[in-house]
Amino acid sequence: MPVDRPTFSESWYRVGSLRPRLRAGVQVHRQHFRGRMWHVLADPASNDFLRMSEPAYGFVALLDGRRTVADAWQIAGDRLGDAAPTQGEAIQLLGQLYASNLLMAELPPDAEGLLKRYSKRRRREVQSYLTNLLFIRIPLIDPEHFLNRWVGVFGRIFSPVGLVVWLGVLLGGGYFVAGRLGELADRTEGLFSAANLPLLYVAMIITKICHEFGHAFAVKRFGRVTGTGGEVHVMGVMLLVFLPLPYVDASSAWAFRLKRHRIVVGTAGVMVELAIAAIAAIVWEHTGNSTLSAICYNVMFIASISTLLFNGNPLLRYDAYYVLSDLVEIPNLAPRSRQYLQYLVKRYVFGAQRSRNPAHTAGERIWFVFYGIASTLYRVVIFALILLFVTDRLPKQFAIIAVLFAAVAAFMWLCVPLGKFVRYLLTSGELDRTRGRAVAATAVFIVLVAVAIGAIPAPERVRVEGVVEPVELVEVYAPEDGFIDDLRDPCAPVHPASDVVVRLRNPKLEDVIQRLKANLAGLRRRRAIATAPETRDPGEVRVLDGHIAYTERQLERFRRRRASLAVAPPQAGLWLPAQAGGMIGRFFRRGEQIGRVAALKALHIRAVVDQADKRLIDEADERVEIRVSGRPDDHLDGRLLDVFPVGDRALPSAALGYAVGGPIATDPKDAEGTTAAAPVFQVRIRPLAARSGRPRLLPGQRVVVRFELPSKPLAVQWWGALRRLLQRRFRI
Amino acid sequence: MATLPSTTWRTLTAGAGERELPKGLDAAWDAAAGRARRLTTRTSRFLRRAQKVLAWERHFANISDARLRDAAAELRDVFRRGRDTRADLERAFAVVREVAFRKIGERPFPVQVAGALALHARCVAEMATGEGKTLVATMPATVAGWRGRGCHVVTVNDYLAQRDAEWMAPVYRFCGLRVAHVDSEMEAPARRDAYAADITYLTNKEVTADFLRDRLALGRLRSLPQVLLERIDRGRASGADRLVQRGLEYAIVDEADSVLIDEAVTPLIISGQAPNPEQAKAFSEAAALAEQLEPRRDFRTNDRYREVELTPAGRRRLDALTDGRGGIWAGARRAEELVVQSLTAGVYYRRDKHYVVQDDKVVIVDEFTGRLMPDREWRDGLHQHVQAKEGLEVEPPKDTYARVSFQRFFRLYRHLAGMTGTAAEARREFWQIYHLPVVVIPTNRPCIRRVAPDRVFASAEAKWQSVVERISALHAEGRPVLIGTRSVGASEHLSELLTARELDHQVLNAVRHAEEAQIVASAGMRGRITVATNMAGRGTNIRLACGVEEIGGLVVIATERHEAGRIDRQLFGRCARQGQPGSVEAVVALDDELVRRHAPRLSGSLRTRYGGTDREVSSALTRRVFSVAQRRAERLALRQRKGVLRTDDWLDEYLGFAGREG
Repeated sequence: MPVDRPTFSESWYRVGSLRPRLRAGVQVHRQHFRGRMWHVLADPASNDFLRMSEPAYGFVALLDGRRTVADAWQIAGDRLGDAAPTQGEAIQLLGQLYASNLLMAELPPDAEGLLKRYSKRRRREVQSYLTNLLFIRIPLIDPEHFLNRWVGVFGRIFSPVGLVVWLGVLLGGGYFVAGRLGELADRTEGLFSAANLPLLYVAMIITKICHEFGHAFAVKRFGRVTGTGGEVHVMGVMLLVFLPLPYVDASSAWAFRLKRHRIVVGTAGVMVELAIAAIAAIVWEHTGNSTLSAICYNVMFIASISTLLFNGNPLLRYDAYYVLSDLVEIPNLAPRSRQYLQYLVKRYVFGAQRSRNPAHTAGERIWFVFYGIASTLYRVVIFALILLFVTDRLPKQFAIIAVLFAAVAAFMWLCVPLGKFVRYLLTSGELDRTRGRAVAATAVFIVLVAVAIGAIPAPERVRVEGVVEPVELVEVYAPEDGFIDDLRDPCAPVHPASDVVVRLRNPKLEDVIQRLKANLAGLRRRRAIATAPETRDPGEVRVLDGHIAYTERQLERFRRRRASLAVAPPQAGLWLPAQAGGMIGRFFRRGEQIGRVAALKALHIRAVVDQADKRLIDEADERVEIRVSGRPDDHLDGRLLDVFPVGDRALPSAALGYAVGGPIATDPKDAEGTTAAAPVFQVRIRPLAARSGRPRLLPGQRVVVRFELPSKPLAVQWWGALRRLLQRRFRI
Repeated sequence: MATLPSTTWRTLTAGAGERELPKGLDAAWDAAAGRARRLTTRTSRFLRRAQKVLAWERHFANISDARLRDAAAELRDVFRRGRDTRADLERAFAVVREVAFRKIGERPFPVQVAGALALHARCVAEMATGEGKTLVATMPATVAGWRGRGCHVVTVNDYLAQRDAEWMAPVYRFCGLRVAHVDSEMEAPARRDAYAADITYLTNKEVTADFLRDRLALGRLRSLPQVLLERIDRGRASGADRLVQRGLEYAIVDEADSVLIDEAVTPLIISGQAPNPEQAKAFSEAAALAEQLEPRRDFRTNDRYREVELTPAGRRRLDALTDGRGGIWAGARRAEELVVQSLTAGVYYRRDKHYVVQDDKVVIVDEFTGRLMPDREWRDGLHQHVQAKEGLEVEPPKDTYARVSFQRFFRLYRHLAGMTGTAAEARREFWQIYHLPVVVIPTNRPCIRRVAPDRVFASAEAKWQSVVERISALHAEGRPVLIGTRSVGASEHLSELLTARELDHQVLNAVRHAEEAQIVASAGMRGRITVATNMAGRGTNIRLACGVEEIGGLVVIATERHEAGRIDRQLFGRCARQGQPGSVEAVVALDDELVRRHAPRLSGSLRTRYGGTDREVSSALTRRVFSVAQRRAERLALRQRKGVLRTDDWLDEYLGFAGREG
């Protein structure tokens, strides 16, 4: 039948003569969403909920245990006209009510069916655990009693006075933090160091427990104020990426009539955490360098930044998501936006006329499109990051676990949805009439994607880090033994004519010169005596002249040696001392290297690549682009000179090694950080003459060199990238 | 102390063996398991085992009746206790084989024994028509009878049930078993007695109807504890005493494809009158409104799905027409639904094709057999709309009291087995829905049927022309010809053409219902031309007259392909039985309903390509259209049947408060 909602159902006879009614404890609350009224049926005893539209409730409300279902349906039909549920819809409604344990029939309950439903529910739970490996929830305790006892105390937080106090605490924390922002930022680097991780985790547990109790007490408080339920029966542990964290089930907040209350419940966790962060800031300010201070610092980080990033992000299904969906009055925003996107495809691409539109109003549609796309992208990114993080942190011997994990993830998030889609495409009743079109559309899409990534060549690039090196490097040796008195600043431009790069002091030399000077003076004295008329001795004079000339020559020689202690640069360029600091006062033996002077005119870049990248660079274009760290928008041109074909573990500069933040993994046994963990290949690049305004290269500087590879289809590139990634990770 | 007869206990716990259809990966796994079973449940294994049964022949052939009776009694005890081994089964079959020879003069062939073994192993045995399926069933039925929990042998009509029961009775009696049959005329005590027999021959309709009546008798008492409590509460006068059946234990279904697949989703309904004058009036009003709407402008028709849809203009017009009317017509949706149904009744349900009017009542005509179905009604108010269209008094829709589809019902049996002439095409469905593997049993004598490739024509006229030519050519040779048509209308059309050519022929359809068996039986006479719908006269043997075998036997001409390949094969199976010669040819046209509905684009483009040519357009491509359309139709049907089962599962799960169904 082409009729959308056929009035009659063949199965009506099964329910028509029954006289069911809602179970005694069931509470009904009204809620408005986007101008439509909904009724939430809730059973406080079991925490079962069912939301139904107004006409549906119009029918259900008529079931009082005296009327038959058929009578109630008839009355609803007379009252509501077209909006009344059809027989099929009425059956569906009754079925949902029954499955949610909200319905009671006059029949004794079918115990076997109950058990079957129970075990089915359990099975589904286990299945959802398995399919949601990264977010497993394990319910543990029922905190209701505890909460009831303490709600009188803690519940007061959720009042106008509480709000004022909260704001005050926040302001106080902000005041103390404001002055030390720089220091705070500096310390974030150490946050994820191995030593700090246990502290971080402790801080996380503390804040998250407070967070969850924030939700729980908010629910209790408003439940008590409004007298509508507000029960919290489940508290447990959630394994977030295998990290145990507490959670609490605050779903009974859905029954609150006031949106304000529901939103406060939703934000209570984040609010509590922010207050904790503020208190931690105050404590941190007033404690010195102690463990307490460290804990406070971690608490501040967790309770502010991470909370705002995760709980405060509506794209993830945490607190902010529920608040958002309540604020925009679209319950089940995430699944419905997914359904809506699917609906759009089914309706307009596949041409399935019978597909049901999950959007009720135009406003919802916009939200659905926006949210559906944004959250899907975000989820993909987050999952990829988590995967990378997990594989990164695992010790190498557990690499197989990472592979398994990735395989399971790929199966869950790729194969299963794909399989479902294929099944939908081939067997769905919805597509019976347009299966040809749907299959064709899918095929066209697949072909387009395949062509786009498999056939159209796209430019490919490889980026490699390198250091700038001068081509001519003249070493400066100590001309004499000596202590360094004075040294030019490292990297200062020097010129042989006017500069001295290092001034040495040699006391021995001074001594010798002094002695020679004294000698000379003595000799001259003796000569003067020998030439005096009264003591004239021509033979002696001749001898002394020879001595004086010799001593003068010697003195001259030593003076020259002393002069050479002020070392001039052998060429114009940059002065690079052998050590960065601690040179002043150091003793250098003659011929020992003090430093180097690098000629500025001819520079080249030496980069190292690992085996995986070498294969790429072998086929790369000669022309390369050079970018200087810190100035990503400017670039220089360069030319690839050569690639040393033999792999070697020596790095040309420690700057390229892991130890100081470079890209190449270094051998942990090497303290200097100039030995790579695996063989690397050296590549030399000559920069072409820089035009004015371009960044100048300086020796020792770290640069990024971009190689241009022949264009290849994206699929080929990705495959290569994946292989390189695996090669690097697992040293295959 | 409340007590219940064990038979009642069996009835109440029926359904314990029922399983829901698997979903998702489970379904894929299950389907794969079915495929694996197909590879392992080899015909050859049954044939080898049949040889073991045959090995007993010499032993039993030489002993006296009394000794044979003792052997049977001894086996009966073994099976009764459930302590039987494989060897016991082989011996039991050998005993039944010998008894059958002594009592009715037929000793089952090895292939028949293999078929019996397949039935016992809960398979669907595909055995060509004429291979003695009735005799095959006696072997597993006897063993099941010995077990003492009843055995239903299900056939398709009362006549067959009675005939088979009476024919095989001596065999069963000799084996110490009581046999009975149920027919539609029987009263409750007689039925109860028949069900209490060791072996009961009955039809699918009777057994299902009795099942439903038992459910109604039980009322709300659906489970064993409930009945026991009721018994304690009220003493003996509870619904449990009015039951006729004694549980669904073992069933052997003859014509399994027809019962378990073709009629699978036909629900059997027990209903009662529910007078509702207001509603009755609405149907007539809807008919009047429908007449005021114009095709194309107000509504569109979709031939493939046999549906009518209102256009926006039609909706506005309907709104204007119903404006101011109260009651049912107040709401737009309800009004549209009624009018659309009325239009559907007008456009797609034709008098004398889909129904006839007898005694001011609309009686459905089965399109495929041409039979009148006085106790059937269309659903969803369609029947009332047709009545209104014909201007008859509209009977309000009946109230349903209980309802079950054959599909669901037969899944309730703990042991189900089936036999039929054509099952291989439906092996997927047999496995997925009933978990029955299909075993193809070879014929006793090699089949020498010649099947000619399909001849394809561009249009129906060309096709009929060629059919008539072919008939007259064959007639001139003296070969008997059986022409299978898809519907009664087609067979009448052909009959006219043949009359115009002055070819003497017999037509088998609704009107000549009574002579059916006789006509079919004589279809093998020299030079005889018989026109029949595909479904008519199923299960009746066509015997070749003397001399016909020498000139090539019976020729079967199919004039259209059916939605299911099985049904084509059933028609083909009418000739070349039991090693006789025979040939088959199919003549089809590109505007046959099958390809028009299930391969509309492909057949449409081919039709335009060949335009109005009269000559044959057979080619690999044109033939392929038909197999593609057939495969699509089969898939669609399977999906629909599975969908029905799923919906029922859903209802069972979610309507637990309404008590269990079926």
